[in-house]
Amino acid sequence: MNLADYLPQLGQGLLVSLQLTVISVVAGYAIGLAFALGVASRNPWLRWPALVLVEVGRSIPALVVLYIVYYGLPSVGILLDSFPAAAAGLTFTVAAYSSEMFRAGIRSVPKGQTEAALALGLSRRSVFGRVVLPQGLRSAIPPLMGLAIQSFQGTSLAYSISVNELMSQAYQISAVTFQYLQVYAITGLIYVIIAVPSTWASVYVEHRLARGQA
Amino acid sequence: MNQNLITESNEIAHAGVVIEHLSKSFGSNRVLDDISIIVKPGSVTALIGPSGSGKSTLLRCINLLETPDAGTVTVGSQVVTAGRRIPERELLALRRQVGMVFQSFNLFPHFSVLRNVAFPQERILGRSRAEAEERALTLLERVGLKDKAHHHPAQCSGGQQQRIAIVRALALSPRVMLFDEPTSALDPEVGVEVLAVMRELADAGMTMIVVTHEMQFAREVSDHLVVMADGHIVEEGDPAGIMADPQEERTRRFLNAVLER
Amino acid sequence: MEVIGIVLLGLPMTLLVTAASFAFGAIGGIPLMLGLRSRHRVVRLAVRLVVDVIRGVPTIVWLFLLYFGFAIGVFRFSSLGAAIVGLGVISSAYLAEMYRGGFATLPKGQLEAAQALGLGRRTTFVRVLAPQALRTALPSAATYLMALIKDSSIASTVGVIEMVAAATAYSRQNPGTAGLTPFLAAAAVYVVISVPLAIATRRLDARLSRSHA
Repeated sequence: MNLADYLPQLGQGLLVSLQLTVISVVAGYAIGLAFALGVASRNPWLRWPALVLVEVGRSIPALVVLYIVYYGLPSVGILLDSFPAAAAGLTFTVAAYSSEMFRAGIRSVPKGQTEAALALGLSRRSVFGRVVLPQGLRSAIPPLMGLAIQSFQGTSLAYSISVNELMSQAYQISAVTFQYLQVYAITGLIYVIIAVPSTWASVYVEHRLARGQA
Repeated sequence: MNQNLITESNEIAHAGVVIEHLSKSFGSNRVLDDISIIVKPGSVTALIGPSGSGKSTLLRCINLLETPDAGTVTVGSQVVTAGRRIPERELLALRRQVGMVFQSFNLFPHFSVLRNVAFPQERILGRSRAEAEERALTLLERVGLKDKAHHHPAQCSGGQQQRIAIVRALALSPRVMLFDEPTSALDPEVGVEVLAVMRELADAGMTMIVVTHEMQFAREVSDHLVVMADGHIVEEGDPAGIMADPQEERTRRFLNAVLER
Repeated sequence: MEVIGIVLLGLPMTLLVTAASFAFGAIGGIPLMLGLRSRHRVVRLAVRLVVDVIRGVPTIVWLFLLYFGFAIGVFRFSSLGAAIVGLGVISSAYLAEMYRGGFATLPKGQLEAAQALGLGRRTTFVRVLAPQALRTALPSAATYLMALIKDSSIASTVGVIEMVAAATAYSRQNPGTAGLTPFLAAAAVYVVISVPLAIATRRLDARLSRSHA
């Protein structure tokens, strides 16, 4: 199968996909946490912008976000290359989705925790920062792991703005070899080989975490 | 509520239950160890003992919610031997003779109270909807819950739900009734309502096997007391007699702990 | 603003793709769910693998696979066919998981009560367990539907003329002047569709949890 010759090319695409994933997850989660804190804030100047950004980010398809960043922003003077555009767009989407997970995690901390901490005489800031937030983050880990795997799969959309990630490479190779079925099947398989064991691992981690809570 | 709760009780021959050399393990934990009991038709047997003694498991082996590893369960004339795979037909036949009331009531939340009692009759006894609902309403009235017929279980209190659960089982005219800690999930004041219904049933001559922590009920209503601990029968016999003067040390320890509460 | 008009031309197709693939998934999820709950370990593991693999392949790869790669005799998928079948298969996998979750969270007592009463296996499943399981799964399914509306945009990559394709086409035909507008218009339509759906879902969620206390 001369398709084997193309594996290195797919490998390079995979590398780009993974780079995009890491960037969008790391930056996205950081910004997402900020969004979550903003939404929970009592200051309306923080809350409303955060709320709007999160709701918009969760309502717009990731593909549209990518098009806006790559094709649309130039008209207001922001010209980004494919890769930075994809990184920015995906980061935004990940931030919006992850913020909801952070928020849910924080909300799931039993009220009794806050009450006990306050009763001990801890300041509100300490109570939030040292008691509530750590537990909230722990609860948020399972869904965040799932989101990370989904964003890896989501990097495939970057094909549509000409990023040379895995899906793009697949398209180029299939256009040359005409072996569409095989090429896309192998590509799908590469995604699966990374995503599926990761999902199993995250389920395992979820069980281990839950056991600690019981 | 002076009249018989189940007028049909005089028409149906209440069945006896015979358990022979029943054993059951969960993994390495031997929960039932060679248990043999005879329950006479029309009698009330109370199963008492500490948690983990196997009393619930024993009860659940009678209607095969648990499958015993060894031994025989006989309900009326139907014999079930452990070890072989029991065909669905036999299983259903057995379960249709035996009614069960659970600690957590287990009413169907998506059905109204009326439907909870009528639906099994339609399905199992083949009654028409009208017939089933009429019988359901009659039974609900006997326990004072006719006005709840069109409510859903979630809108009823715990005591009400349990009485409805009893009625749901009774509507199928079982020959034996099993009760698995029927009042454990209820406040004592509310539990009294349920125990009253159970007393009526006992008076009407139903064969009853009751796993309970209600010592007063056990002493006053049951004909036969079985004390279990660690998967064995420690002592059995006359309820008042055992409670006043237990022969076995284990029984003594258990009763002291329970009655001191 | 003719831009909105152009974008809205794609809306029917967006809705069609969403509805058709959701329906496909709602039905297709049932056999998968039965497989996941099978009594035979081999069947369970095999279906588990199938479901995980379906979900492991990114949507766009599935669509390309079906559109470019699938050929039986002279049959090839049209753009719309590939989109509906592709999204439908993926939806089946996700909905099967939700159905399974609905059953998994059923109180064990419900099954036991039905068994103790002597209701047959089929009656127990169809009249006692399934209605409750579906009720539990409904909020997740509603959330999934909202995600599916967004995923329908991926159909544009295989040639389905839905909203994103319409916006992109407009942008290409008016290179200098279009700018952000067509994409913002499309984004706005998605937001306008999503927000009421989100509110309805939240209300549905509250209603269901209340009636079950």
